[in-house]
Amino acid sequence: MTVKLRLENISLRFGGIKALNDVSFDIEEGTIHALIGPNGAGKTSLTNSINGFYHPQEGNIYLDGKLINGMPAHKRAILGISRTFQNIALYTNATVLDNLMAARHIHMTTSNMLTGAIFYGAAQREEIVHRKRVEEIIEFLEMESIRKARVGALSYGLRKRVELGRALCLEPSLLLLDEPMAGMNVEEKEDMARFILDIHEQQKTTIMIIEHDIGLVMDISHRIVVLDFGQKIGEGTPDEIRQNDTVIKAYLGQGEG
Amino acid sequence: MVIANPQPQVNYRPTKDGKIYTSSFEKNIPMPDDSLNTLPKSWLANVKKLGKKTAMRKKRYGIWIEYNWKEVYEHVSNFAMGLVSLGLQDGEAVAIVGENDPEMYWSQLAAHSCHAKSICIFSDALPNPDLVYAVTATGATFLVAHDQEQVDKALEIRDKIPNVRRVIYWDDKGMWGYDDEWLASYAEIEALGVEYGKTHPNYFENQIKTTRPDDTVILSMTSGTTSLPKFAMITNWQLAYGFAMNADYVPVGENDNWLSFSPMAWQTEQAFGFTPHCCVGMTINFPESTATVPTDLREIAPVGLLFPTRVWENLASTIRFRVHDSIWINRKLYDWFMPIAYQIIDLEDEGKPIPLHLKALRWLGEFAVFEPLRDKIGLTRAKNVLTAGSMLAPDVIRFFRAIGVELRQLYASTETMGTIHLPGKVKLETVGMIVPGVELKITEDQEILIRTQARFAGYFNAPEKTGEAIDEEGWYHTGDAGYMRDDGHLIYLERVKDMIELANGHSFSPQYIEGRLKFSEYIQDVMTIGGFDMEYVTAIIIINFDNVARWAEKHMLSFTTMVDLSQKPEIAELIKQDVVRVNDSLPPFSRVKKFVVLHKAFDADEGELTRTRKLIRRTLLQKYGEILEAMYGDKKGVRVRAEVKYRDGRAGVVETDLNVVTLE
Repeated sequence: MTVKLRLENISLRFGGIKALNDVSFDIEEGTIHALIGPNGAGKTSLTNSINGFYHPQEGNIYLDGKLINGMPAHKRAILGISRTFQNIALYTNATVLDNLMAARHIHMTTSNMLTGAIFYGAAQREEIVHRKRVEEIIEFLEMESIRKARVGALSYGLRKRVELGRALCLEPSLLLLDEPMAGMNVEEKEDMARFILDIHEQQKTTIMIIEHDIGLVMDISHRIVVLDFGQKIGEGTPDEIRQNDTVIKAYLGQGEG
Repeated sequence: MVIANPQPQVNYRPTKDGKIYTSSFEKNIPMPDDSLNTLPKSWLANVKKLGKKTAMRKKRYGIWIEYNWKEVYEHVSNFAMGLVSLGLQDGEAVAIVGENDPEMYWSQLAAHSCHAKSICIFSDALPNPDLVYAVTATGATFLVAHDQEQVDKALEIRDKIPNVRRVIYWDDKGMWGYDDEWLASYAEIEALGVEYGKTHPNYFENQIKTTRPDDTVILSMTSGTTSLPKFAMITNWQLAYGFAMNADYVPVGENDNWLSFSPMAWQTEQAFGFTPHCCVGMTINFPESTATVPTDLREIAPVGLLFPTRVWENLASTIRFRVHDSIWINRKLYDWFMPIAYQIIDLEDEGKPIPLHLKALRWLGEFAVFEPLRDKIGLTRAKNVLTAGSMLAPDVIRFFRAIGVELRQLYASTETMGTIHLPGKVKLETVGMIVPGVELKITEDQEILIRTQARFAGYFNAPEKTGEAIDEEGWYHTGDAGYMRDDGHLIYLERVKDMIELANGHSFSPQYIEGRLKFSEYIQDVMTIGGFDMEYVTAIIIINFDNVARWAEKHMLSFTTMVDLSQKPEIAELIKQDVVRVNDSLPPFSRVKKFVVLHKAFDADEGELTRTRKLIRRTLLQKYGEILEAMYGDKKGVRVRAEVKYRDGRAGVVETDLNVVTLE
């Protein structure tokens, strides 16, 4: 097994607050890795550190064995790290199609501003190639009927799906999903889980998912990392996590005993 | 060699006496000659004639992907030979399950060309028992299954369908992980067909040349409410003749388009999509997904549409809702031009001339509102706008007529063609006129019998069911009750078993009368009464309080409550007009002779209605026994003491006199 992402002794401070404290774990290539923990445990901070929004003061991050400390987010995106956001971050006044096409930008290479403006020759051909890829993603996520709808006019569940689509447009090798199913009803959650499994199966994408629905997490992930107050308090397969006393105490069963 | 479908001996039921009606129009139905008397033959002729012209379109990745006739020919012939190389025999059956796609048409054509039958199954069929039953009862040897979802169903019931040699999927999304000899993709079968074709040149076309009009080509599943579904045997001839018969009333040509989205398991899609495609080369378009049908419909603007009534009703209310959600200028234009359009319809119905200024305004409205509106719903080119199933509310028909769409009713079933509204001769209350080629008999108990060449050949492997449905003279017993009006229009009442018999031996249809009366804006609810011990039909009518109150205010009629308002002589007169209008459309013996306007509404809390607002007749008859007595016992009025349960749980008593209104 090759390691897709290695985190070594990551610590992240905001002034006096330690958001992450000496967190280390590996994500193996081609697995679904879940990150769970109570509110404020540092899950989103860790995601932000991986994709380059935050730069931890201590520790090393390796992607495919290559040290990427200090690399800005847009360069990490080119290396294949793509993510969705806990609070949806799309262009609300643009159509679904435009949002997805915008995400293809990092793959557009041949055209410059001039050829792009007159939209002829290479620029047009390139647009067609990318549009085809976007259409495949639209079909994959079953968004045909909302292709030309304004994102702002869509339901919450659908916007989450569009966001996943945009992350896929980057053709990631590591996909970070920050609460992709928050606020969804059971049916929407099931749809989303199915899409995540399909992405993993079809494109062999390595996925890290933050999710509060523990039942669902146990169902779809291969390994789980548990954070509490910025510290890793447990790691293992779903079965191991279910039996981990520290985890149960800190997260699953606190206040019940 | 063609093996005839071996069918057991059928004992046809004796016929029933009745009055026979035929079409009042002279028309020679162009009989297809020997070279075109089956669908595959006509289809092959169109392949040769139309060649590079577009035969089908499928929307995928947001664009319409076109297939010309030559390409379709390759897909059909190779698939057919692929099946034959895997052992498909004459007379066998191919089951097809999934959502409409070109491959669905192709595999059906492939089966028919090779003298095999096709069974289309609803895509939401449960693996067990639906799919198991459909496949085993028809003896299907191949199962063409759309995608992963359908293939999974087939795998689940694998040991129950041992006769199926291969399961063939055409959408390979998600199928890479399956490694099973039993499964094959559409393309793999086509590749086998190409190989087969190399050693058997002309095989496919020779097979088509030997197809026969009386071959059963489709086994159409008909719903069984009390028993398992039956399979109606549809022959080439039923489809080809039925098409020729309707050609004048539902005209289509090779330049016309059809949007294929109602399930192939319905005979509608087979008769109005598949058949014209084969016979005259109509282009078939397949939407991207179920959710995109409205936008795809608009892009295609098909020549014909056939929806069940419920869909039209939804569409009408959606349009109204959307207009009111639109920007102010759209709303203003709509509110301004709609009344003009309605006014013109009313004048047309009364046969009066339409003033020039109204015509001019309607013409303006066409640009401002109606044309854009029709464009939005994809009806700009629609010539054949049809509805079938139950009756449409008149205001829905009026609404579509106002925006320039003539909605016509069709009365037909899987088993046979029946009647249709001819263009320009739409009557709200009827199901249309007999088309040439159909004979119709109304028996003494008002059952509709139909005899035509465009009739099914019987139920598959169910001779006793066939014998119940078809009599020795070839009449198909529809089980529907109705009668013929003098103007040649057929009135559909309801199922024969739901009719009520009167003391005079005649039957009437409570639902029909109640349904018609409820079309009045002044009537909210109504119960018709009759039975073997009663001489005539009576009714208890509930007024629509809001509308009647508005009418009363407009006519300076003062009133206090529902109890008071309902017994005003003016209101009795108002309701009487509606009853008379409905009576006029009924045969004399089933007319409403007396009625009472009730002082209150039927209430579900008092056990008079179900929660879905259906009448609970037994309770009502007991509760209003006094009223019944008055109506059947020549009294002018009746005093009622009615217990009323208030919503806070208290019970009160209302005492009042109800008038019995008698009609001449």
